[in-house]
Order: sequence, then C-alpha cells, then structure tokens
Amino acid sequence: MKEPLIELVGVNKWFGSFHALKDINLRVAEGERIVVCGPSGSGKSTMIRCVNQLEAHQEGDIVIAGRHYGRDERENAAIRSDIGMVFQSFNLFPHLTVLENCTFALTYVKQLPKAQADAIALELLTRVRIPEQAAKYPMQLSGGQQQRVAIARALCMRPKIMLFDEPTASLDPEMINEVLATMIELAESGMTMMVVTHEMGFARKVADRIIFMDQGEIVEEAPPERFFREPEYDRTRLFLSQIL
Amino acid sequence: MAKEQKTSGAAAGAAAFKTFTPMAARPAPKDLTGVTAWLRTNLFSSVPSALLTFLGLWIAWSVLSALVSWGWVNAVFQASSRRECLDKVGLSGACWPGVVVWIPNLIYGLYPKDQVWRINWGALLLIVWLLPLWLPRVQSKIIIGFSTVLLFPLLASYLFLGGPKGWIWTALIAVGLTGFLWSLLTAASESLGGGPFLRLAARLMGAKTAEEEAQRGRLALLGLFAIAVLLVTQWNLDFVPTRVWGGLFLTLVISGFAITFSLPAGIILALGRRSKMPVISLLCTTFIELFRSVPLITILFMFNTMLPLFLPAGVEVNQLLRAIVAVCLFASAYMAEIVRGGLQAIPRGQYEAASAMGLGYWQSTSLIIMPQALKIMIPNIVGIFIGLLKDTTLVSIVGLFDLLSMARAIARDPGWIGLFLEPMFFITVVYFIFCFAMSQYSMSLEKRLGAGERR
Repeated sequence: MKEPLIELVGVNKWFGSFHALKDINLRVAEGERIVVCGPSGSGKSTMIRCVNQLEAHQEGDIVIAGRHYGRDERENAAIRSDIGMVFQSFNLFPHLTVLENCTFALTYVKQLPKAQADAIALELLTRVRIPEQAAKYPMQLSGGQQQRVAIARALCMRPKIMLFDEPTASLDPEMINEVLATMIELAESGMTMMVVTHEMGFARKVADRIIFMDQGEIVEEAPPERFFREPEYDRTRLFLSQIL
Repeated sequence: MAKEQKTSGAAAGAAAFKTFTPMAARPAPKDLTGVTAWLRTNLFSSVPSALLTFLGLWIAWSVLSALVSWGWVNAVFQASSRRECLDKVGLSGACWPGVVVWIPNLIYGLYPKDQVWRINWGALLLIVWLLPLWLPRVQSKIIIGFSTVLLFPLLASYLFLGGPKGWIWTALIAVGLTGFLWSLLTAASESLGGGPFLRLAARLMGAKTAEEEAQRGRLALLGLFAIAVLLVTQWNLDFVPTRVWGGLFLTLVISGFAITFSLPAGIILALGRRSKMPVISLLCTTFIELFRSVPLITILFMFNTMLPLFLPAGVEVNQLLRAIVAVCLFASAYMAEIVRGGLQAIPRGQYEAASAMGLGYWQSTSLIIMPQALKIMIPNIVGIFIGLLKDTTLVSIVGLFDLLSMARAIARDPGWIGLFLEPMFFITVVYFIFCFAMSQYSMSLEKRLGAGERR
C-alpha cells in the first residue's frame, strides 16, 4: 500500500480523567475522502482536532506526510501548515475584511508580498464563487457565504489536507447546499479530506470511507455502499436508523 | 392577497404554480415622524410624563439661573483684593479677579516665571509630534505614535528639568531628539509623496537594491542621531527642581505617565495572568491582586515614606518620581483586569482559527486577539484614563502641588483670603474639559473602529 498521508497509531487522549479517544488507528491515503460520523460526544471532533494538534494527544503517534508531531513547537507548526481547517462556527476574524482574512496567513506566516497574497486570495474566493464580497466584513455576509470564505481562507495556504469540523451544522437549510457544493468541488479536485458531518447525502456521494465513532472508539469503518446497506454493528444500525 | 396566492398555489399541486410576488413596502404613517410626533412620544406621552417634563425643565432653569446670576450677573470682574469684592456684592456674586491673578500659578505651579516658556514649548513639541497622526497621507502613523509615547518623555524631562547632563543623559536626550526629527521628516516626505523618509534618504545617497536601501537608511538614521547629539551638547537649560513643579502642568505630567505606562503594562500583566506557565501567572496575579486591593493613598504613602527606608543610605529617589511610579503601578493593576475582561470576550475559536493557520502565540495575540479585545475595551480603558486624571489630586497628600492643591492655596493668599468657591469652580471646568474631551474622543474612536463589524 502507498505511504499514507495521515496516520494515527494507537492514539489515546484524555480530558482530565475523561478518556476521550481510545486506541484510535487510522490511515488515510493521499486523495482519500473520509467522512466521520457518530453521536455527539463520541470523539469525532476531538479526533480531527488531534490531526492538526489543536488538541494534544497523550499516547500514540500521529504522522502527517511522514512527519511526527512531537515536543518541538516549530516542527509542529510546520506540519500543521500542510493542513487546512474549517470550523463549525466559521471563526473568521471579524475585524478584517474577507480579503484580509484570506491573505492574513499568507502575509504573516508565508511572508508573501501583498500583491501576490491578494492574487492568491482572489483566485480562491473566485473558486468558492464570492470574489465580489472581498471588500466586505464577515459579519455582513450570510452564514453560507462566511463558511465559503472560511474554506477559501484555509485553501490559501495550499494545504495537502483539509479538515472540516461539522461545517454545515450551524447553517440554515437553504445555505447548507451552497457549502456542500463547494466541498464536493473540492473533493473532485483530488483534495485529501476528513469531514465530520451528519450530512449523509454528502457522505454517500463523496466519501471513499465512512468512519462511525462512539464513546471515543472507531466502531465501524466502511465504504458508503456497505456502510449504509449492511453495517456490521448494531450500534451503527441504531445510529443510522435515528438520523436517516 | 399574497398569502392567498401561495396557499392556492400549493393546493393546485405541482403542475401549475402561481408566482409569489412580495408586497411593495409603504412609507410609515405620518404621525410616526416629524417634530410634533417626537414631542408627543418622548415628552408628553401621558399626564405623568408631561408633569415630569415640566419638573425637569423647572429644575434645569433654577440651577442655571442661580449659576448665571452668581457667576456672571452679580460677579465682580475688576478688583484688587477679596475685601473689595465683598464690599461690592457680598457673597451673592463670584469674585473672579482672584482666580485670574492666580491662573499662571494654577497652570504652572511655582515653576520660575522666566522659565515657563519651557513648559509651553514642551506642550507644543508634543502637539507637533502627534500632528502627523491626523494627516491623511502619512503612512507610518503607528510607528510615529510609538515614537511619541516612548521618546517624548526623554526629551521633555530635560526640557522641564534642565541642569547639568552626563554623557548617558546626553545620549538619551539625543535619542529623543532623533525620534522627533525622524517623525517630522517622515511626515513631511510622506505627505509630499516621497515615501518613508529613511528610504528617500537612502535613495538620495544612491541606494539601488532593497538591501542597500536598508543599509543606507540606517546610515541616515545614524547621521540624524549625530546631528541630535551635536544639538543637545549645545543645549543648556537651568535646573528646575521638581518640588516647584505644580498646578495643571504637574497633574498632566503624572497622569500622562500613568496613562501611557498603564496600558502596555496592563496588557502584559493580563497576558501573564492568563499564561499557562504557573510561575508567571502566579507573579502577575499576585501583583494585580495586591495593588488592586490597596487604596491609592496608601500606595502613595508607602512609596513616599517607606521606600527610602529600604534604599541604601544616601540614595534618594525624587519625590515626584516616587509618586509617578506609585500611580503607574496602581493604574496597571486596574488596567490588567480590564484587559483580561476584554480578552475573555473573544471566542476560543479565534485562537483556534489563528493557530490552525500556523500563527504563533505572539502573532495571533497581537494581530488577531488584541485588536478585537481592545476595541471592546475602549470605554473601560478611557474610563480608567479619566479616573487617573482625577486621582492625581491625591498626590497632594505627599506634598506635591497639583491643580487642586494650587486652587486651595488661593484661599491662603493674604489678598484673597478665604476665596474658595471660585477656584473650585474654575478647576471643575478645567477637569471637565479634559475628561469630556477624552470621553468624546473615545466615542469617535469606537464609532470609527466599529464600522461594518457588529458581532
């Protein structure tokens, strides 16, 4: 098998005395699209937050493109710069315009000149279909537009991996589709993606594998075909019967 | 009608939809707008409301008319002593000549009269230094602002204090002067379209590449410093001891120091208190809690009477300096808690988004978190500044003559013995002008920064 882009080996995480992730093993190849689902509190967000070390894990190993997270913060930051992340609550910077939100990391982390950063940002805003909003502030945009800006902002850093933490969970129904459409386009372009979501339509259409988690463990891991038709575990079946 | 269309459309099934056209908006009814409508809704909406309106008008009228008859109609404007005033109008009118005669003292304290120009020049220097911040074409506003805050005190202390200067003092004053010259030249060259001054100077010296520009720019700065040193060595001012400083001048010196010191110190303390490193967090928390739980008067007394006991014999710290340090420390502790409050209002997601983008702690704190937090904090910060300006009156108890003490001194002047109300009224107006100006500035700042970004 090809060298995986993301590899989690025996990862364990505790919040205080609460065991949040239990022996997580996962390999994601380049270009693969993984959808993670499960009931709330099952550890799915914690798992993808460990992938870019927004949460530190206590046991096990996380390897991104052959590089291990460790104690060296600078090395960790370097590894993280290959990973883009989109959050449930967008987390755009409200005091900066849409364009500045996108160019921010290019200017201060990659230290590109302004003209070049602007060009990249505009290119990606065009790709998520909102170049005309560049001069506005995030709070002047609809939720769906804000989330698309957040996607563009993450893409500006030219990441190898994109993480989505319930990207549509705080959107009105009419706006969910515009964000999902953007994500589908991204998937079609060959991006490696890990998506925590309850949008099963999206999962069925885009995912190479669906991971079902409960109580901090990976319960089931299967291609969407099999996952929806004949899940192995009763827990998965129960979950599916409740959300479909 | 629109509703009817929708429901009937749904009833008709999928085959034939009717088009939903939203109703056009109509202007609001007349009696909701206009002056009489405003009066009726706000002042005379009911009988009790109308009565309250009249009561309010009556109170305002009686206070104002009493004030005007005391301070203007019955007041004495020409007299040579309080006795003369009393003979003319008794206590029914104000006796302004006493205040007028004392105005120089109220402003400058006991500063030698022939040296007062130094204070005026100091004020002018500050204004000229800050002026570029209001010029639209100047780019380097932030750094000019910083240079003022950091370097003006160096230049001003010599201007106000004077006296002999060793080479360290000379160098420091020269640094201050360099900063001033640099700010002026930068503002001038940027306003005239020449770009930053140092780059312009480097280009005039024949720099081609960016590296050469940086190098020759440094050379130009060094040249500026050399000129400054030359000027400073030629510059000799008489020594004016701080014990004769006083009045509004002293009030502004102390509160100016406290204001410029407390904000950065407060930010550092607040970040320290939230730090994950236990030692730093403990130190900052202890400092904040200690200084916040002790009254300012006590701190001033401590610094004034107890500090000398801890210092080796013969080492004497200037009394004014002691007061300034005490006020600064006190103000930073309060500021730290305000800043911490502002930081807590910023959602965790902002930190996460910044760190997911690869920004480090200092970058995300200074570029993402602080700008947002400071904006929320403006009213509180300005509140502290206003409080500081007024709290400096407390330094009178350690023997410094601030504006309030000078005003009280008038009542002990043989010619104006017992003149108390008028000086108090005068300094009330002075304090009001300064505080109101700050408060108005903070409002306009809030408005400007808040444009287009409501949470």
